[in-house]
Amino acid sequence: MSFEATDRNELRSKLEEYARTGNKDLRDEIVRSQVGLAEYLARRFKNRGEPIEDLIQVALLGLLKAVERFDPSRGLEFSTFATPTIVGELKRHFRDKGWAVRVPRRVQELHLRMGTVVNNLSQELGRSPTIPEIAQRAEVSVDEVLEAMEAGRAYRFSSIDAPAADDDDRAQSPAAAQLGEDDTGLEEVEQRMLLSPLIASLPKREQMIIHLRFFRGMTQSEIASRLGISQMHVSRLLARSLVQLRDRAGAEAAPG
Amino acid sequence: MPGEQNGLEERDEQLRMGGDVRLVVPASPEYLRLVRLTAAGMASRLGFTFDEVEDLRIAVDELCFHLLGDAGDDRPADDRTMDLIYSAGTDFISITGRTGLSGEVPEPSELSEQILDALVDEHEVSGTDGMVTFRLKKQRES
Repeated sequence: MSFEATDRNELRSKLEEYARTGNKDLRDEIVRSQVGLAEYLARRFKNRGEPIEDLIQVALLGLLKAVERFDPSRGLEFSTFATPTIVGELKRHFRDKGWAVRVPRRVQELHLRMGTVVNNLSQELGRSPTIPEIAQRAEVSVDEVLEAMEAGRAYRFSSIDAPAADDDDRAQSPAAAQLGEDDTGLEEVEQRMLLSPLIASLPKREQMIIHLRFFRGMTQSEIASRLGISQMHVSRLLARSLVQLRDRAGAEAAPG
Repeated sequence: MPGEQNGLEERDEQLRMGGDVRLVVPASPEYLRLVRLTAAGMASRLGFTFDEVEDLRIAVDELCFHLLGDAGDDRPADDRTMDLIYSAGTDFISITGRTGLSGEVPEPSELSEQILDALVDEHEVSGTDGMVTFRLKKQRES
């Protein structure tokens, strides 16, 4: 009892210090000390067709957000505050997927393999390959290729697409500001949309991809070679960004 | 065994002759996967490239999601359906659809417009209270 009380006090003083200083190391320490809560909540969502490891990752993201948003001056217990945040993140994870079907392992594997196949074929052909060409090279059926393309949407939180490393430097400057010289002279509409908080809230690389695809009309393969990543990766990031934009647009329209 | 006598025979006959595809799904975002897959399937048969199929999938998703809108969440939709016809030309695919609507036709956001402009050759949404129709068309480049 008194031991728990000590723990609670220690947590509280750390949270207060974090709120004051914003020290990232301290934040991570707090997150580590509360992993149990995240895991506990993640387990409540198992048996819904998602790997538990993924759910724990999502829950940890929720926990991180909770630590960042917690306001010690309001006098709430941290766990009281964090639980709905984490549960919200988990629910959002299921909702964003839009389809609750678990992606079979063979489809996941094909999806990953297609990254290389599409890149190689694009280089050999000097254009984007057709679906039958991809199927032939990967030695699978056209339907399997189509299914594997869909699978990209389910990859939002898996290890290959772990929250991008550039999440940290998100939105210091909008992507519009870091495009090369050939991209100066943005049109007014373009500038206004790119600078909107909605898009600026995305990680920089995603902002860049949105900009290049939808405002500059570059194809996914062109973007892939410009950014030095695979086209499948561009495809995943694009899908993920659009879902995030919808989410945030929805949240702005209906606060609460 | 085309046994169903529901007045759709003539339309179905047209579909068969033209190689078109008709898909009716519950008006819920959960079914967008099927809507996207059908579009991708038809496009790939028409020789669309990976880039183009990707664009089409994203566009279909953007447009349909917009229309189904925030009815989403975990809430199961009511008995509304979304009815789509996928038509194949020699070098283009066009998709028309309609769905019931409880309120006014939702106005697409500026960003949504921008996204669709970049992805497909034509797109439009129209409708009145109660019913909304939409159409999009994508041409094959090569």
